[in-house]
Amino acid sequence: MTSLVTAPALYPSSPAAGKAARSHVGLRLLVIAAAFVLVAVSLSAQGQQGPGGNIGALGQQVKRPPAPTGPPPRLADGTIDLGDGTWTTRGGNLTSWLKQGEELPLLAPAKALMESRNPSADPYAWCLPMGVVRGNPYPIRFIQNYTHKKPTHLFIMFELMNTFRQVFMDGRAHPPDPDPTWFGHSIGSYEGDTLVIDSIGFNEKSWFDGRGVPHTDRLHTIERWTRVDAGHMKTEVLIDDPGAYSRAFTVTFESTLNPPTDELLEYVCQENNQYGFASGVR
Amino acid sequence: MRTELTLVAGVVIASSHMIMAHHSFSSEYDATKTFKVSGVVSKVEWTNPHVRFYVDVKEADGRATIWNLELASPSALARNGWTSRTLKIGDTVTVEGYSGKAVPTRGAARSVVVADGRSLFAGTADDSGAPAQ
Repeated sequence: MTSLVTAPALYPSSPAAGKAARSHVGLRLLVIAAAFVLVAVSLSAQGQQGPGGNIGALGQQVKRPPAPTGPPPRLADGTIDLGDGTWTTRGGNLTSWLKQGEELPLLAPAKALMESRNPSADPYAWCLPMGVVRGNPYPIRFIQNYTHKKPTHLFIMFELMNTFRQVFMDGRAHPPDPDPTWFGHSIGSYEGDTLVIDSIGFNEKSWFDGRGVPHTDRLHTIERWTRVDAGHMKTEVLIDDPGAYSRAFTVTFESTLNPPTDELLEYVCQENNQYGFASGVR
Repeated sequence: MRTELTLVAGVVIASSHMIMAHHSFSSEYDATKTFKVSGVVSKVEWTNPHVRFYVDVKEADGRATIWNLELASPSALARNGWTSRTLKIGDTVTVEGYSGKAVPTRGAARSVVVADGRSLFAGTADDSGAPAQ
């Protein structure tokens, strides 16, 4: 795919303006703030618009009640329990997860690669895995696996593509030269209440978002997942890839706990993927 | 008033992030080309990555066509309370949506109304219903 067409953002940006409605300000300010929030969220949520409204898939949006607050639950050994429900991450293109005003420090070859990518070549469109750092609207679940001795593995189950990540929690180190894979080689530990996942050994196939934001096989990520209360998770990911970026940088995103009735559902993407037929790509 | 506004804002924020489909619809469908067709449902595919249904349509010029129409993923539809039986073979439907960029009889459905006037797969905050008349 050599078109110079740049893909539109797969995901709308995630406004952080909602907190204003909780502050103790005058009613007028509150009304203005609430109106701003509604407009901002509405605009961001609509995606690409046409004369018939949103072009997104009918029925895709899921309304869920607000996530709970209060202290996060703990396992018997005191570790924060991450597995008592499914989580949904607020989607965004990678830039939307940077600090406001920050730009991706793309090296020239990486920028050229990104600009050469056609949205129809997005691995996501062809039912391939999402890699480690890519927002999507489908739930995930953490499985903290214990043996009779100690924690051994942590799995992150993705509804999307029915995929999973395996994180070794037994103290092992990375192998010196791992074969490249979509999710890389991940080792994890806890720093206080924060789950830290260190990953290397990626292939170069996944895109960070629908615009084709690239990475190389020199990518090294350090994720820090902190369950700040019963229903909210904050994640920081250090992205260090000297093959594609001039410096390491950090993205942050938030996830919310879904209601207990909301289980992971089957998603066998390959069974009827007709992507590309309507647009003439194939 | 304060409580109401806060609640409204909170609900909107809570619900606003679940909107994107598996694939970038904007690369498949023409944002400037809406359609409205009526016909009989001949097949429903409750499949990933998107639910599809097929409608036998008699075009204005008398030709018989089969429209291939796309909805959200089964999991998203299920979370909205819809099932593989919400839309049935034999239903007479009127569908509005966006046409495929290259194939006009493929479309992204935005509104599905059955013969008795019920609107299926509607009601989420972002799915505002029928395209412009």
